[in-house]
Amino acid sequence: MFDVNKIREDFPILKRKVNGKTLVYLDSGATSQKPELVIETMNKYYRETNANIHRGVYQMSIESTRLVDESRQKVARFIGARVEEIVFTRNTSESINLVAYSWGEENIKAGDAIVITKLEHHSNMIPWQELCRRKGAELRVIDVDETGMLIDQKKQEVIQENGFKVVLGGLKDLLDLKVKMVAFTGQSNVLGTVTPVESIVKMIRKQSSFSLILVDGAQMVPHMKVDVAKMDIDFLAFSGHKMLGPTGVGVLWGRKEVLNKMKPFLYGGDMIGEVKLTGATWAELPSKFEAGTPDIAGIVGLGAAVDYLQMVGMENVHNYENEILEYALNKMEELKEEKIVTLYGPDSETRGGAIAFNVNGIHAHDTAQILDNFGIAVRSGQHCAAPLVTSFGVSAMVRATFYLYNTKEEVDYLVEKIREVPKVFA
Amino acid sequence: MSDYKEIIIDHYKNPRNMGELAGADKIIDEANSSCGDLIKIYVKMVDGKIKDMKWQGIGCAISTAGASMLSEKVTGMDKGDLNKFGEAGVVEMLGGEINAGRMKCATLAYRGLLKVFN
Repeated sequence: MFDVNKIREDFPILKRKVNGKTLVYLDSGATSQKPELVIETMNKYYRETNANIHRGVYQMSIESTRLVDESRQKVARFIGARVEEIVFTRNTSESINLVAYSWGEENIKAGDAIVITKLEHHSNMIPWQELCRRKGAELRVIDVDETGMLIDQKKQEVIQENGFKVVLGGLKDLLDLKVKMVAFTGQSNVLGTVTPVESIVKMIRKQSSFSLILVDGAQMVPHMKVDVAKMDIDFLAFSGHKMLGPTGVGVLWGRKEVLNKMKPFLYGGDMIGEVKLTGATWAELPSKFEAGTPDIAGIVGLGAAVDYLQMVGMENVHNYENEILEYALNKMEELKEEKIVTLYGPDSETRGGAIAFNVNGIHAHDTAQILDNFGIAVRSGQHCAAPLVTSFGVSAMVRATFYLYNTKEEVDYLVEKIREVPKVFA
Repeated sequence: MSDYKEIIIDHYKNPRNMGELAGADKIIDEANSSCGDLIKIYVKMVDGKIKDMKWQGIGCAISTAGASMLSEKVTGMDKGDLNKFGEAGVVEMLGGEINAGRMKCATLAYRGLLKVFN
């Protein structure tokens, strides 16, 4: 039985005050809060176990190594992967850069095409933009409609700027045999749009049979059950800190057959097989992609975050978030009808726990700051997705995101305080 | 509402010197990449001093008030005066209290104006 009040007790930060008011944290899309279990596990690691992994024969090093291995197993089970396919990185951006550099440098050449969508966070946009620029490849961008849903078919538009050409079009029309990589988000960080991963993947496999597929799971893995074994994709990138884990640890899952063919990304310690002054061989997966001492405590913390999410159950997390989102969307629709706000994004059926909006006539930063005075933490600006935000004809949006610890009372409070915003400038 | 002093709201609602300046000697574009705010600054110069400043832009209350108030303050300033005025001068001009998260908004016009002397 999902009891949000019990869940909230596990998150010490939710008790703090901001500007004299109890914190209402609605920015989990940027980073989630951490349960006591994660904080304590990391604390305990530093107090009792701290030692570098893989190198020592002494007890603590062996324990450290075992904890990192266990975390890797937990993450693997969590997403239906084989354990050697889990590569620990710093964050989603680094995971995607790993693919863009390691796989991209070897496999993309002039005349090839890479497909992304307009929904992408900059982290799944700029690495591909730059790869295309370096290689003389073509970047194709799947456009979105006015509700933020991916468009299947539309007249293609060619944008030429900064010595770079981009083709903007519909999903169906952009997929052909020139395409070598399709990289798209599972859920938009701004509008909350949940993309139809299964049908997109089917279409890619049918129309672009030479292409690999990368899913940006940063806003997906924390919020729904993901099973890579059933997804028919090649890479999944996500961040620990958005799923109750600490900052500093991200994950790249890659299909073993693909990872094995890739060159290392970073070179140095721990990623080698045999080393001579004249050259080296590489370690097996996943060490080949994990040069240097990793964020050991962070990895251990991420393992605890996965334990926590498993304890609650991802289906429960997902259902509860849907309930909160639907409740919030209804309330926000009322504000929209009263001409107080403008809402952006799709209906609740195709939307995760994010609501992007503006208070009419008031800049997103001003709205966010006034809400902060009431203890409400929301994000404002372009949300690292400038092309998407500006395509709605605004320079910035306010975004409220929900997670398993948010309540309907918090939504009510948000709505009540949004009504106060125009009064400040009246 | 510590940041939203009456003076800010006044300049936000009735921005001064907003518009194009015909015959401007310099036109500068400045942007705030985190929120997409944009400002275009027009200045007329005499003997290395700002004689007149006008501006156009889209922005929040803080950046709008920052530009509006600055446009009244800077007449007669040269490079040295403007440097001396500094970001601290901007904060003081806006009532003495700007939270750290809004400094980029507050100083948008000021940062643009500095480029006049580049």
